[in-house]
Amino acid sequence: MLLREGLKVLNEEINITGTLVWYYFICPRQVWLMSHNINPDEDDENVAIGRFLHQESYARERKEISFHGGKVDVLGTREGQLVIAEIKKSSKAERSAKMQLAFYLFELRKLGIEAKGELRYLEEKRKEQIVLDEQLTREVENAITRILKLMYEPVPPKPEKIRWCSNCAYREFCWA
Amino acid sequence: MKKAIYIFSSGELKRKDNTLYLETEDRKNYIPVENTSEIYIFGEVNINKRFLEFASQNQIIIHFFNHYDYYVGSFYPREFLNSGYMILKQAEYYLDKEKRLTIAREFVRGAVKNILQVIRYYINRGKDLVKIDERIRELEGRIDDFNEIDELMAIEGNIRECYYSSFDKILQNQDFKFCKRTTRPPKNNLNSLISFGNSMIYTIVLSEIYKTHLDPRIGFLHATNFRRFTLNLDVAEIFKPIIVDRVILTLIGRKVITKDDFEQDSEGLIIKEKAKREFIKELEEKLSTTFKHRQIGKNVSYRRLIRLELYKLEKHLMGEQEYSAFVAGW
Repeated sequence: MLLREGLKVLNEEINITGTLVWYYFICPRQVWLMSHNINPDEDDENVAIGRFLHQESYARERKEISFHGGKVDVLGTREGQLVIAEIKKSSKAERSAKMQLAFYLFELRKLGIEAKGELRYLEEKRKEQIVLDEQLTREVENAITRILKLMYEPVPPKPEKIRWCSNCAYREFCWA
Repeated sequence: MKKAIYIFSSGELKRKDNTLYLETEDRKNYIPVENTSEIYIFGEVNINKRFLEFASQNQIIIHFFNHYDYYVGSFYPREFLNSGYMILKQAEYYLDKEKRLTIAREFVRGAVKNILQVIRYYINRGKDLVKIDERIRELEGRIDDFNEIDELMAIEGNIRECYYSSFDKILQNQDFKFCKRTTRPPKNNLNSLISFGNSMIYTIVLSEIYKTHLDPRIGFLHATNFRRFTLNLDVAEIFKPIIVDRVILTLIGRKVITKDDFEQDSEGLIIKEKAKREFIKELEEKLSTTFKHRQIGKNVSYRRLIRLELYKLEKHLMGEQEYSAFVAGW
C-alpha cells in the first residue's frame, strides 16, 4: 500500500519545468535531486538572494503567466506578438538561460501561442532576443528527451566539482 | 546562523505581532523569530495554538522537558521538506533485513570508534584505561558476527557499560561515581548528567533531521514502532561520546558542576538550574566549534557535522554512496 502510494507521488511529480531546464545545463545532478524532491538546504543564503532578486526586478513592467512548464514574465506585445522575458543576475550561465527561455517558447507554441523571448541580465544591463527557430526547437526537444531520461535514472549522476559548486545549496549534500 | 533558544523560567510564550514573546514574572523578552531554529522548554510555560501555528510557519521545532528533565516530546511542525522518494527508500532499507543490518552495524561501529577516541585521549593523559580499551576493542571485533538487531543492541550496551566504567578512573571524584547505568530515574549524579546530555543530543539530532528529507520515525538500529522518533537515537549514538561525554567530563573535571548542583526529591534526582545552564553553555560551545572539512573544503561546526551525517545516510539510501559513520580524528 505504502509503495503504491509512493510511486503515484513520484509519477505525478515527474514533469519538466523551465527551472529544471536551466539547471540541466549547469548541473544534471541537481536536476535529478530536484525532480526527486530532494530540495537544497533552505538555510542557504544564495537561495534567499535569488528569491529577492526575482521579487524586486522589473516589478513595474512585469506580469506573470503560469502554465504547465512553469511561470514566465510577460513583457507585453511587440508587432502583434507576445514577448516573454527571463531575468537573470548575470550571463555566467548563458546557455542555461537561453535554453530555459527557449523551453518556455516551445511550451507556449504547443499551446498555440507564438511568442518572442528576451533575456535580461541585471548586472550587465544587457538584453538578448531569442527566437525559437528550427535549430533551437530541435535543441529544446533534444534537451527534454535527455532530461526525462535522466529523471528516470535510479541514481543521480555522480557529483562533479565544477565552478558552480562553491555557491551551490547542494554543496554539503554532494560532498558530505 | 539561527540559534536554539532555551527556556528555564516559567511564564507565557506567545506570538506578538510577527515575532516571539516570552513573558515571565521578572522579564519581558522578544525573541527574533527569524533567528530561531528551535526552542527547548524546561520551565512551566504556557503556550496557545496561535503560537504553535506561528512556530510551524517559521519551521521552528519545540522540544519539551518535564520537571525531572525527561524528554516529554517535540512539536514537530508539518514536514516542510518532503520527498516521497526518500521515505520509500528509508522504508525499503528498514524492511530488508540485510540492508537494515548494514546500516545498524555502521552506527554501532561509529559509536565504538568514537568511544575509543575518548578513551585514547585519556590514556595519553596517563589514565589507566588500557584494560578497558582492550576489552572494548575485543567487543568491537565481534560486531560483524551478529546478524540480529537485538544482538547488536546488546553488544552496544556491553560496550557502553564498559566504557562508562572508565569514567571513574578518568574523573577520580567520589561525588561522581558511575556504579552502573541507571535511568528513569537516574540514581546518582553522574547518571543524571549522562541522561540529561543524551536527551539533549537526541533532540539536537531530531532538529537536524527536520531539515532533511529523512523521516525521524524510521530508525535502523532502534526498532521502529511509529509511535516515537527513532532515527535520531540511531544517529546520536555516533555523537554521544565526542559531544555529550566530552562535555560531561570537562564540566566535572573543571569543577564547574559539583555535587551541590543536585538535589533529591521524592521521585528522583534533580539537576539544579544553574548546572543545566552551564551544561548547555558548554554544549552549545562544543556544537559551534568548527574545523576544516576535507571534502567540503570549508569549516564546519559539530552541529553541521550532524547534518552532514544525515546527508550521507540519504546518499546511502539513494544507492549512491555507501554510508560510513563519522569518526573523530582527535
